[in-house]
This record gives sequence, C-alpha cells and structure tokens, in this order.
Amino acid sequence: MAPELLLDSNIRLWVVLPIVFITFLVGVIRHYVSILLQSDKKLTLEQVSDSQVLIRSRILRENGKYIPKQSFLMRKFYFNNQEDGFLKNTKRKVVPPSPMTDPSMLTDMMKGNVTNVLPMILIGGWINWTFSGFVTTKVPFPLTLRFKPMLQQGIELLSLDASWVSSASWYFLNVFGLRSMYSLILGQDNGADQSRIMQEQMSGAAIAMPADTNKAFKAEWEALELTDHQWALEGVEEELMSRELDLDGMFSKELPTGIF
Amino acid sequence: MASVSEMYDVTWEEMRDKLRKWREDNHRNSEQIVDVGEELINEHASKLGDDIWIIYEQVMIAALDCSRDDLAWTCLQELKKQFPGSQRVKRLAGMRLEALEKYEDASKQYDSILQDDPTNTAARKRKISILKAQGKSAEAIRELNEYLEQFVGDQEAWHELSELYINEHDYGKAAFCLEELMMTNPHNHLYCEQYAEVKYTQGGLENLELSRKYFAQALKLNNGNMRALFGLYMSASHIAASPKVNATVKKANVKYAAWATNQINRAYQVSHARYLL
Repeated sequence: MAPELLLDSNIRLWVVLPIVFITFLVGVIRHYVSILLQSDKKLTLEQVSDSQVLIRSRILRENGKYIPKQSFLMRKFYFNNQEDGFLKNTKRKVVPPSPMTDPSMLTDMMKGNVTNVLPMILIGGWINWTFSGFVTTKVPFPLTLRFKPMLQQGIELLSLDASWVSSASWYFLNVFGLRSMYSLILGQDNGADQSRIMQEQMSGAAIAMPADTNKAFKAEWEALELTDHQWALEGVEEELMSRELDLDGMFSKELPTGIF
Repeated sequence: MASVSEMYDVTWEEMRDKLRKWREDNHRNSEQIVDVGEELINEHASKLGDDIWIIYEQVMIAALDCSRDDLAWTCLQELKKQFPGSQRVKRLAGMRLEALEKYEDASKQYDSILQDDPTNTAARKRKISILKAQGKSAEAIRELNEYLEQFVGDQEAWHELSELYINEHDYGKAAFCLEELMMTNPHNHLYCEQYAEVKYTQGGLENLELSRKYFAQALKLNNGNMRALFGLYMSASHIAASPKVNATVKKANVKYAAWATNQINRAYQVSHARYLL
C-alpha cells in the first residue's frame, strides 16, 4: 500500500483551480473562434434536389399504403422502371472529396487543426513548464508503473506511486472532463467539444458524402423493388362503422370573443 | 380609438405571447395581428428585445394583407437597418412591391436573390405567386411543376398546385398532388377529405368507391369531420343508386348510407342539446 502523501494546500489553491479555469476559458474562447472562422456550407441545387428525391422515395415505401394501388404502382414505375426510371438511370458526377484536391476541405481541415489541436499542445506545454516539479493530485484508481513517465513528467521519484500525477495530466483530464460542462453552458454541438472533433476526424474523411448519392440511389431502388402495396383502406368502412362516432366536444357553447 | 390593451385589459407580455402563438400556428388573421402588433411596436418596442425583429416581419406581412403600406414601410425600414443585405429582408421588400402591384420590380428583386443563392425556395415561390396574381394560371402551373421537379419535398407547393389544378378542373392531376400530401401526412384527415372530394367530383363508379373509402378514412382519423360524414353519405347513396352495380354492392352501400344518416342525426341532436342547455 502506498503511503499517503499530504500535499500542501497551496497546491490546491494555486494549481488545481487555476488549471480548471484556464481549461474552461480556453474552451469557451475556442468555441467562439470556431464560430467566427466557420465557412458557410453552400449546397448545390442538385444536392438539395437529390436529398429530397430520396426522402420522397422513402416516404413512398413507408406510407404508400395510404394511397390507391394504381397511384402507388405509377410512382414505383416512375422510380424503378428499367428504361427510364429515375433511380435506375440518374448518374451523378462523382468527385470523391479527397483533402488534397478539394480546396475548401483543405482549409476546413486547417482551421480545425489550428483551433483545436494547436492550443491544446501549446497550453499543455506551458502548463507543464510552469507547474512542474510537484505532484498535483491523485487519481482514485491504482495505476501500473508503465504510466509513470507519462503522467509524472518532471518528477524523478522512483518510489512514488503511479497514481500521483503531475499538473500536465490534470490539464488533459480537464480537457476531456469539461466536455459536459460545455454542453451545459454553450448548448449542444459547440466548437469547444474537443473529443467529439477528434472522433469525427478519426471516423473518416468528409461527413457530407456527395459520392454516396449514386449508392444511395441504388439502395433506394433495391428497397423500392421489394416493397409491395398493402392498402391500408381495405376494410376501413367496416372498422369505422363498428362503433358509433365519438361526437363529444364537437359543439362547445363557448364562442371566441375577440382576440384574447 | 381605444387601444388593444385597454379594450381587453392585457399586458404587453400577453400581447407578445399571443403574437408568438399566431406565428407558431401559422394563422393568417391579419387584421388582428396588425392591431396587436402595431401597438406592441409603437408602445413597447424597447421592452421586446430581440423578439422585435420577428414581430416586425410578422406585422409587415399582415400589414400588406390589410393594405397598410405605411406600417409595412416602417417595418421594412427597421429590418433593412438591422439586417442589411439579408435575403429574407429582400424577399419582404419584394412582397411589398407585389402588394403595390409593381410586378416587374418585384420580379427583378426575386431574380437578384436567386442569382446569389439558386437554392432559395422562397424567392422562387414568390415569382410563381406573381404569375398567379396576374391571372396567368397556365404559366403559374407550368412554373410550379418545374419548381416541384427540383424540390419534391415542398408540401406547401404541392397543396398550391392541387388548388391550381382544381381551379382548372384538371381533377386527375389535382388528385396526384393530394396523394403526395396524403403520403407525407398520413394522419391529416383534411387531406383525405379533400382527396375524396376530388375523386367524387371526377365521377365514375371506381372514383366514387375510392371517394367513399377516403371519406371513411377521414372520419376514422377525426370523428368530428362533418363534411366527411356528409360526403360518405353522398358517395354511398350515389353508388347504391347507380344502375351498374350488382346486388351485394348495392346492399352494402345502402347500409353505409343508413349508418351515415344515423350519425348525422345524432350529431344534430348533440348540437341542439348543447344549444338548449
């Protein structure tokens, strides 16, 4: 069992709390800077139109049972016909948005890097330099010795338990931990959300995938081929007339008298 | 002239909330909006904060409806000062020109919006309504069709197109538009009822059957839809009276018509009872 260290309470006052404040303020500043640097995403007419067509095809699949069979077949034919069906025959010019060829993506990536990664590195380094030479806090779970060089930068004590960490690691802990505070204060989808941005970067290139339009059309075509028309109104009269109409509340004595 | 707040004894917060409710429900009660909104703008502008801009927009459109160009001009000036170069404000300026019947200038205004942003749906729709206002319904239908080819999801536009087709007595195409609306809003009894009416007007045994079914659907969705109830009665009795149907169909339709009559009688009794109470 590691001996319990008693830390100077000045550490709490002058290290732990300032780091929390610094991280938080830097996060807020990052959020506003990212708003300023945000470039408008201009959608082309074709993209808007295609997305609406896909929505219409999906609605046809889901709610086609509310329109007469003939109308459903007419629309299915329009979309899926062998010779001139829209989904079958429309090929969009596909330009895979690689970061090198697409200039706007390049600037977006750069902006993302500048606003997020750079400050983190700079401030992490500065904190490491300023608040060095002492332990800041203890993580509540035991860690192996492997973590020592990472979390105890600047403290050269072989016998010190790896759970005691330096201020740099406290800083990184804050960066990720304050995420929920940011959503509370700045609302969802804020520019200070570091880990979300890193996740997006890791999950792959551009989020808006124009290249997928052709694939999306093909997927819709297949799904629509499989859809059948089950008319929802088959026995509607019987259902309706199985009970009396509910006329409660139809005629109320109170007429609206003016505006209020 | 007594002000609104004096007549109804309400505070400015209640007036502002009422305006918001009308905005959210998309009411077009322009005279009331002008009365309430004008007083809010003149007396309580400083207290409204940032709400005032959307109120300016709402009151301006209502003022155009009531031919209050003075009020519309004031609102437009305030909005222009606050949001220079905004496309939303440009559209409002275009609407004012339309209200003054300066259709050429309005059209140029909308064209300039479309040059900056070809995906702007509001400007395109206003151009179509200019054609409608000038009475060029065939052109309006053509432009609206082109618009809908690009923006298939615009429900307002589908509804407008169905209205235009009904005016031209092209019921088949109107039915198509209403089918689009029924698919996107399967729980809206009004679309079912309107579709049934169009089918009924088209006539012919098949269409009458369809219309009876859709009247029934409208009633299922909303038991209180009296128009659908009468429609159900009319279509069922029409089918029953037609010489081309066989005996079973005739019997079924007579039964439906009888049920509908029952319900209509019940409804009248309920309404009389309420009245006499």
